[in-house]
Amino acid sequence: MDRQHVVTALENALTDVLERPVTGLTGDVKLFADLHLDSTTMLEMLMFLEDSIGLVVDPEELDADDFVSVDTFTDFVLATQGEQVAA
Amino acid sequence: MPRTPQLLHEILDQAADRDPDSTALSSRDRALTYRELATATTAMAARLRREGLRRGDRIIVTASDGIGIAIMVYAASRVGAVFSVLHEQVRGGPLEHVLRDCEPALLVSDDLDAGRTAAEHGIRSLVLDELVRTALEADTAEAATPAGPNALSVDPVSLIYTSGTTSLPKAVVSTHQQVLFAVIAIQECLEYRSDDVVYCPLPLSFDYGLYQVYLAALSGARLHLATVAEVGPPLLRSLEKAGATVLPSMPSVSDRLAWLLGRSSGGPGRLRLLTNTGAALSEPTMTALRAALPHLRIQVMYGLTECKRTAIMPPDGDLDHPGSCGLPLPGTEVFIVDDDGDRLPAGEIGQIVVRGPNVMAGYWRRPELTAERFPRTEGLFPELRTGDYGWQDKDGYLYFSGRRDDLYKERGFRLSTTEVEAAATRVDGVTSAAVLPPEGKRTALLAVVADVTADQVREGMRDHIEPFKIPRRCVRLDALPTNGNGKVDRKKLAALIEQDPPASVTTEALQARLAH
Repeated sequence: MDRQHVVTALENALTDVLERPVTGLTGDVKLFADLHLDSTTMLEMLMFLEDSIGLVVDPEELDADDFVSVDTFTDFVLATQGEQVAA
Repeated sequence: MPRTPQLLHEILDQAADRDPDSTALSSRDRALTYRELATATTAMAARLRREGLRRGDRIIVTASDGIGIAIMVYAASRVGAVFSVLHEQVRGGPLEHVLRDCEPALLVSDDLDAGRTAAEHGIRSLVLDELVRTALEADTAEAATPAGPNALSVDPVSLIYTSGTTSLPKAVVSTHQQVLFAVIAIQECLEYRSDDVVYCPLPLSFDYGLYQVYLAALSGARLHLATVAEVGPPLLRSLEKAGATVLPSMPSVSDRLAWLLGRSSGGPGRLRLLTNTGAALSEPTMTALRAALPHLRIQVMYGLTECKRTAIMPPDGDLDHPGSCGLPLPGTEVFIVDDDGDRLPAGEIGQIVVRGPNVMAGYWRRPELTAERFPRTEGLFPELRTGDYGWQDKDGYLYFSGRRDDLYKERGFRLSTTEVEAAATRVDGVTSAAVLPPEGKRTALLAVVADVTADQVREGMRDHIEPFKIPRRCVRLDALPTNGNGKVDRKKLAALIEQDPPASVTTEALQARLAH
């Protein structure tokens, strides 16, 4: 899975969670300040990605630093997916 | 033996005398001991006086930095000023309303927009970040500037703005002695310990959050102020990292915690107490939390800003009194009245009324509304008409039935949507439920997310409530539509049910899964 693929999946997830179209995300977009996600919608986004791209997260591995921007979150998804492929 | 505190900041000074080197407040990137906090608040108070602030002046604080807010709150108390902490999303029109309403002498914020709004109303503003930095650098000697006249314990210390559905937000005024009574009574029930780490998942603009600051000072505990990001998906790890032992929670946070624990092998093993307020905590969530965290005890509570806290359940008391929100705060009385204001016997639903020193002073500059909600018996003794409905059992346990809006009448019975929904969610296989009260020709309707049939739900409810309380119509949906607060949106739900058959709502299917 490449970066663009993850960003597209993220856009779909956000469109669903925020109930408004989210497209054209760039890496520096902040999840809280720019997209106005909150702690609840953040989790819904994660749940949506579980269904859509089979993201499997370990709750104890989730760190606030991963939920800062589109870039940090994409890095996190790619790292997580990478581990799953390796495992 | 220290004297009984008369003013809010005295609980901090006592904590600083008792446990000077214990951590008072922590966040992801900062920590302050009780001595450091007391010193910083003294320096901040001196600064506020230099800025011209005097006893009785109002200060608005609106920022995300919880530690800064806590310093500002105690500093205002030292000056005898009255503080109001606003959510950082209160901007534009809503902020202007507050500025006009309480006419503050000062607005403190890190947000330039808020500062500009203040300037447009001729109100000075200062930057919290800068104020905090200076206060933390101050040493004790510099902090000792001559004080103005002290506030009295009967003087106001805080304004808490609450929204009404029809009118503009109004401020509940609390005096020093009212806040102190409430916090001491709450501590008597919850018994925070000096070695506790209280993990606060809420901003301090919520009074539930703000009172954690006071409870920590009373008990000598450490209060960890979590960011919005930390209480999202990383909640488990964040709780563990902070070493949390107490979680003042609300249903949305608890549901999230239960969900995360459900797919994790470990968990925040030190967590010993979870309190709940805001809305009823669902039984599946409580069961899941108890299963995952065997040492955890749960105390459900009920209250409203007008009296801070009304009732608290003894630890795990919900197991013996399911559905109850506990007993009145020690030193207070709770009773139920009918529409004429006459007291009702145990078991009958009516309006919840509170008497005691926790009943706050009233609404800021709203004499009519204050007289209505805080009526005085014999023209003298105030009590609080909560506007909430419920009943008490013969042992005095309080059961919340709902707001006035949640009550409806059908076939001559006064029914509560909250109560009916709770009964429905107790049925095996039901994830969530919402009741639409009767409207026009339509009778009350129950909507459920369930993996059993609608008839099975109605049948199963007979185990939990009286048959006359069970709505005749029950429909099954993929999910219940919710509004921005995560509460069920009854208007959307009604519209959804108009369509036949009910459409599938994929969006909120995710939300529904939270309840698992």
